[in-house]
Amino acid sequence: MEAVWADRLALFSRGPAAFLSGTTAEAFLAELLRELRDDRAGFSLKLLLLSPLCEHPALLCPSDWVGEETALDLMSVFSQCPSRCVQFRCQLLVALTSVLVCTSCAAASSRASQDFVDLLLQAAQDSQADGSQRPLQETACECLRELEACCPGLLSQRLELLGGLRQRETSRLHQALAGVQAAALRNAVYRLSRDGAAGAGHLKALLGAGAAAAWEADQDSGVTTDPAALRSLVRGPMGTVPTLHTGPDCKELRSAVSSLLEESYLLTPLCQAALLHRLTEVVAMAPGVPPGVFRAQLLRLLGTAEVSLLHATLLMKSAFTDSLFSAEDEAFLLRRLVVLAQHPLLPAPQKLFYTDCLLHFPENRPIGCGDGEESVPVLLTPRLAAVLAPTVFNDGAALLSRLNLLCLVCLEEDEQGGDGVGLPYLYEHLGSLLRIVESGGGGREVVVTFFRAAFLFLSYFHHVERFSSGLTERLCRLYVKHPRLAPHLINLADLTQERLPECRWASGLLEALQKVIVDAPLSQLTPQDLSRHLKTLARVAEEAGVPQRATLRFLSAVTSPSGGCPGVRGDWRLGNGVLAVCRRLLVHPGLDSLLLPLADVLQHVASRHGDTDVQDHARLYYTLLTTLSRDKLAGVLADGAGRQVKKQALSSLVAESEALTGSLTVLQTETPVFRLTEVRPEPGAPAGEGQADQHPGDAAAALEAYRAQFSDAGFASDITLRYELRHADTADAAFSRLFSLRLHFDRTDAHYEALPDASVPCLFGDRPPPALRLTVRPRRPRPTTLRASALFSTADGRTWHGPLPDVPVAFRQTFLPLPAPPSWSRGDRSRLFDGLWEEILAADDDDDSGGADSLFCCGLEEAALDALVERHFLSFLVTDPARGDPVKVLLFLPPASHVLMKIRSEEDAAHFHIATDDWQLLPHMNSFLLSITSCPASS
Amino acid sequence: MTLRALWIISHEKGENAAVRFSRRFSTVEHRAKRLAGPCYLAVPEDNVILQHLLTELGLADSDKPYVALRDDCLYRPGAPAMELHVDGPEKGALWPVLAILHGPLVLACLPLADAPPEPRPPLVSLLSVSQGLTLLAGLQTFLLGSGSKPDGEGLASRLAMLPSVLLQICPLGTPLDVPPLGPPATPAGPAPGGTQKQPAWKTGVHRGRPVVNVALLETVRSMQYGNRSRQDLWDVYGTVTCKCEVEGVLPNVTVTLSLPPNGSPLQDLLIHPCVSSLDSSILTASSVDNCDSSAFSGPYKFPFSPPLEPFRLCSYTSQVPVPPILGSYQLKEEENQLRVTANLKLHESVKNNFEYCEAHLPFFNRDQMGVVEVKVSSGQLDVSKEKNLLVWALGQKFPKSREVTLEGKISFSGPAAGPADPLCTELTAYIKMYFKVPDTTLSGCSVDQHSVQVYSSAKPRIVTSRELQSNDYFIWNSTGSAPVSSGQMMV
Repeated sequence: MEAVWADRLALFSRGPAAFLSGTTAEAFLAELLRELRDDRAGFSLKLLLLSPLCEHPALLCPSDWVGEETALDLMSVFSQCPSRCVQFRCQLLVALTSVLVCTSCAAASSRASQDFVDLLLQAAQDSQADGSQRPLQETACECLRELEACCPGLLSQRLELLGGLRQRETSRLHQALAGVQAAALRNAVYRLSRDGAAGAGHLKALLGAGAAAAWEADQDSGVTTDPAALRSLVRGPMGTVPTLHTGPDCKELRSAVSSLLEESYLLTPLCQAALLHRLTEVVAMAPGVPPGVFRAQLLRLLGTAEVSLLHATLLMKSAFTDSLFSAEDEAFLLRRLVVLAQHPLLPAPQKLFYTDCLLHFPENRPIGCGDGEESVPVLLTPRLAAVLAPTVFNDGAALLSRLNLLCLVCLEEDEQGGDGVGLPYLYEHLGSLLRIVESGGGGREVVVTFFRAAFLFLSYFHHVERFSSGLTERLCRLYVKHPRLAPHLINLADLTQERLPECRWASGLLEALQKVIVDAPLSQLTPQDLSRHLKTLARVAEEAGVPQRATLRFLSAVTSPSGGCPGVRGDWRLGNGVLAVCRRLLVHPGLDSLLLPLADVLQHVASRHGDTDVQDHARLYYTLLTTLSRDKLAGVLADGAGRQVKKQALSSLVAESEALTGSLTVLQTETPVFRLTEVRPEPGAPAGEGQADQHPGDAAAALEAYRAQFSDAGFASDITLRYELRHADTADAAFSRLFSLRLHFDRTDAHYEALPDASVPCLFGDRPPPALRLTVRPRRPRPTTLRASALFSTADGRTWHGPLPDVPVAFRQTFLPLPAPPSWSRGDRSRLFDGLWEEILAADDDDDSGGADSLFCCGLEEAALDALVERHFLSFLVTDPARGDPVKVLLFLPPASHVLMKIRSEEDAAHFHIATDDWQLLPHMNSFLLSITSCPASS
Repeated sequence: MTLRALWIISHEKGENAAVRFSRRFSTVEHRAKRLAGPCYLAVPEDNVILQHLLTELGLADSDKPYVALRDDCLYRPGAPAMELHVDGPEKGALWPVLAILHGPLVLACLPLADAPPEPRPPLVSLLSVSQGLTLLAGLQTFLLGSGSKPDGEGLASRLAMLPSVLLQICPLGTPLDVPPLGPPATPAGPAPGGTQKQPAWKTGVHRGRPVVNVALLETVRSMQYGNRSRQDLWDVYGTVTCKCEVEGVLPNVTVTLSLPPNGSPLQDLLIHPCVSSLDSSILTASSVDNCDSSAFSGPYKFPFSPPLEPFRLCSYTSQVPVPPILGSYQLKEEENQLRVTANLKLHESVKNNFEYCEAHLPFFNRDQMGVVEVKVSSGQLDVSKEKNLLVWALGQKFPKSREVTLEGKISFSGPAAGPADPLCTELTAYIKMYFKVPDTTLSGCSVDQHSVQVYSSAKPRIVTSRELQSNDYFIWNSTGSAPVSSGQMMV
């Protein structure tokens, strides 16, 4: 059992959506809860069962109502669970928190969430708890903290209680209590600051100076729903923080803050950092509490080896600048960051983080506008930064982030007229990297790092001619040695053009690459290298400013029989490579001067190339070149994407000439043109009022005769759904007359067999809507949604393909009347009903997976109930209520499920006794009954 | 200050990648949704994350030479945080995804950005980033141990423990601590009549005779070029590790580091959070600043209350005037062979008593070694022809002259190619030193047994030790071009 569940839960967590398509969220949740309540299941299994509720509560509880019910269920599991199962109880608290927060029950202070908060507070202050219950208490506090974090203000009335608990606590629990108290304090102060009318009295009351009740009375109790309350209040120098209007009288707040700070040393570094951050926010909002309250902690924090504590210190600096940090402190912190960014004992990600912190250093007196852009702090001199100069011993990420930092430092130095020794160093460093790539060692990572470094360098210094042209030269040499780097070079050219539009460097690089390619001796060229050269030349051909005669000379050399490149003549790929260059040349602005040589190359390929496809393409290009004017040629070959033209197939090439488009392509509609609307069957007559009872008299025999029919595979297993096709309200007039519609349906879950496509001859806006019968074959009778699309033609001969609105299949659509033999009378059916009923109830006792019976009640009077039965169940009746028989309804759900109902009116309530041989249908049945009984007239 | 999700992925050089563990923190996700408003991007399913993460880390499709998304040359600012375009390049991105690569594992998490989404806030404004980094590093140590190679079974059993570990240290996405490394200590009952609060980083109390162990380990790195135009470099960093078994909820221990009379001050001190107070002067010296010789030079007092497990009390760097071993290395390409000359000199201030001392001479990007005719003045020479490596074992002592030499010729005429290296082409070659010297430090820093104070009723046993070891200690061939190893030369 446990292994089965473990597999299912693993499947769920891997893909919750896919998993739920095989069942429903409702059914899965019901299963989980049932198993959690089951005394026979072990706690290790139950622990597993909570994980879907912890990780995906919103999926399993789609509405607040379900969330509330689930929470109540879980709380009852909690109360019944023995206290020795600490781990399970902890996980239960976490699951409860997840469900209540994610369904907004907590935000709305629902009944269950209020009970839950009480439960948590009780657990947190349980003075009877011994050491073994401490994890539970810690988790309870952690849940309170999370609830407060998600629903700011939830615990503002409990501040006094929390503060007292924390101060008295000597076990490790004080850490968890400090976490809740700090979160609640921060949110309470935030709320008071936002509330302009709040004053010193409110603050006092909040912190428990004996007037809590008075304050409570004039507060609209409830939590803050503004998402701004969730944001960190420590922002850059330009960020604004709401201010508490209490004047200097903040004694209580000050003492609460100091008391938390005094004991901060006893918290783990992670909790300490979080606490410091919360308190930083509080003090930033309260002008009455001077930032100096942190001073006693400062030295300890400045010397720390812990990244989170130093980070909290940086945030403190960001909030308080020179009111807490002197100029010496600032210089110290900056030096510290430089040291840490290259410290041999620190892990690589931390060093990267510190390097990033240097570029966003919270300065006491920032010059920039602090809009999140990277900038070099004034105190970071080139001398100091030199320690962080990149070297070939750095790994890729460190190298790049150091190079970025140093580039910014050099740029700054340049602007201030420094002597600029840094830049040659960086260029030389780029050269060292290039040499490593050139030597062929180091693998892909080094190559990628080098090209990123080159792009980074160029993005800062492309204007420094001697370096950028030097780089071009070196890259060309590198390319000659390693043509396999073609995609990297093309990407470098593309990106510099895209990101640095004012920079002409890429064009220069491409021209230089063209030169080295055409100058290289053809005889030594391997087919792979030729293919790479052709790719590079194709990219060069996109440059309007680069003369292309040399490229054509190269093409004509490689395609000519004497060219010494025998591979080209029969190779489809190389042939296409040549054509790709030609295609770009066809739209090159310098085409006029290229006409003859280009025509020669094309003609040559068309007549001599070994591959027919290549020949055809070449012929087409040749024809286009020789027959179309420049403008038309550009029109035919132009494509929106500009660069990155993929190899074009003949059809799509031609397709781009406007006139032919329609006949060749299937066009796509963005929005649905028409939709399927359900046609409800008229309530049919009750079945089987034929002959007299002439069949075996007892129920067992009726059942046997009935079941015998199912030996025929495919018996009563289809459901026919009736729809009409109607135009969508927003449909274009061009779509008013549609022909040859072919509808395709995709399933969204595994409950049904695949559907065949359906055809409809035509759909005219001015004629009655055509009917469509869809036959579906359920594997399990469940509601579902079909994804639909359609292919159709319009009056102008175009063919279109487009989505249709989803087609929902409701639960009630899966009901069929009892497929009893046609000769059966009502009496026979009634006997069958009784037989089935008995059997289901009997099975329920001993078989866990079998049938179930259930009772559904609602407040319907007799007349209303009769009308309801008439309206919804007429064709499923097996008795005749008009003759005073009890109302028995038998729903058959293909392929083999039954739902039986005895419906009675008792006093003011209607009772639906339900029995079914597939208990998973019950939730669906319940919601169906709920929907028809809550608004009987409309449904 | 919180994480939205956590993933642990295993792979074999990018192949056979699988998500071995994942956790989504739904309440934090709920906050993320409200914080980001219309910019919200949900955490996708594991397989989507896996693919994007591997691509961004350069591990995906290892069989393809060039993949545009993986290998483009765009610089990604804001490392170590990555952005994953899980919904295609036009839509928003999951940010800031943090990842640690270690051997066959990728540990990744997505911290909550508790700031307005536009413009993107700098990493330094999100406390959750350092929290995420700390948790990931803790998980890495928990899953793989420190340094040692992970074994499949050990890893699997550690992974199986993760749910209960996370329930303890990060139940709702806010990391409270790093995973405990030892077995869980027996929770301390309430201290008898005590009003002292138990630190949250202390899982129990020690009972028994107090023992304090303080170990000082100094590491020296060096790059020696043997070249007038290029300055040799070396640096020293030290760590002080303590293991304290002392009774009491919050016992006091003080460890004092002292330097010899004219020793240069300890710099860049990084201090463990259990140290309760500090003298501001011990923090002032920095390796990246003009060194002021009049600066504070000890004694360095560290009062602290120890956790139960061993911990690094502090680390420091130091500037020493000379490297412990000064070497020179010359290679000369002669007809079909390489002439090798090396000379190593132990500085007189260093104790001539090694635990081990080896010089490794690797030769890269050449054929395998053929004939090796090399003589050493002291020690033993091992030749590993398959690895193209000479190992010169100098044993425990240098000779009296404190100077040793190696001389000879090597021909590379083996049947196959030897190992390759991207840096060491042609005459770019090095000697790498491996040594350890017990009971010594280069900085002169020491912990006197008598300076360790323990406020305890029973007399404590105090053990102190110190040691010097090498790491990345290179002596480059002076006839070849050695790679630049530090930007300090540019100023």
